[in-house]
Amino acid sequence: MKTSTPDQVEIKIPRRAEFVRVARMAACALASQLEFTYDIIKDIELAVGEACANAVEHVSDDAGDEIVVRFSIDPTQLVVEVQDRGQGFDAERAAQAGAADMENWDDPGGLGLVVIREVMDELVVDCDPESGTCVRMVKRRSR
Amino acid sequence: MTMPLKIDARTEGEGTAVLSLAGEVDVANAGQVRDAALKLMSTGTKHLVVDLNATEYMDSTGLGTLVGLLKRMKESGGDVVIAVARPRVKRLFEITGLTQVFRIYDDAAAALKEVRG
Repeated sequence: MKTSTPDQVEIKIPRRAEFVRVARMAACALASQLEFTYDIIKDIELAVGEACANAVEHVSDDAGDEIVVRFSIDPTQLVVEVQDRGQGFDAERAAQAGAADMENWDDPGGLGLVVIREVMDELVVDCDPESGTCVRMVKRRSR
Repeated sequence: MTMPLKIDARTEGEGTAVLSLAGEVDVANAGQVRDAALKLMSTGTKHLVVDLNATEYMDSTGLGTLVGLLKRMKESGGDVVIAVARPRVKRLFEITGLTQVFRIYDDAAAALKEVRG
């Protein structure tokens, strides 16, 4: 059986808020090439923006100076991985937090994961003490 | 680098103001929104309408800023009401459950009518 290697695009941005938009724009440009609908392109943009914002705002200061955003494209799906060198956060607790907690939340860190989980088909947050935190998001392509 | 965010703050009678956000509200500039709202509060605004009908993009940092403003305003006996009809921005409030936290109207006129009681 012949298997094809996914096409990959990787960008690195400084781990600063003003560069998050660059990653979002890259996501938009790439998703546009894949014939996603306008709404799905904007969903992918939002998800990438949220993941990068998390990497900027909610990891420790020793989390390194850059964020790596890796897009893998195959005929069935687009996979986006957003990686930083941080120790991560309690992703499950944050992602499962609901509206009932909102009025007591000073820190909106969990909101981003709530948004990603809603707009993407899959979300996995992998926190590794050595390699850092990787937010892996999947959007399936309809054929 | 970041798309300019245009913030227009106008008072609408004693203790009431409208904050209109045009452009993108994201992790890079949400602090500007907070600062503009706090400035209004410091000059006597108790009832604030945040008009998002010219907001092209908003992320959860922007939402978190609005939640923070609502908390502060309620602590001082005031309120924050949202005006938004744009489906994509409105959907963010729905996804995050914030439709249960904020009162949301389609336009600033309706929101103003609400806050004035």
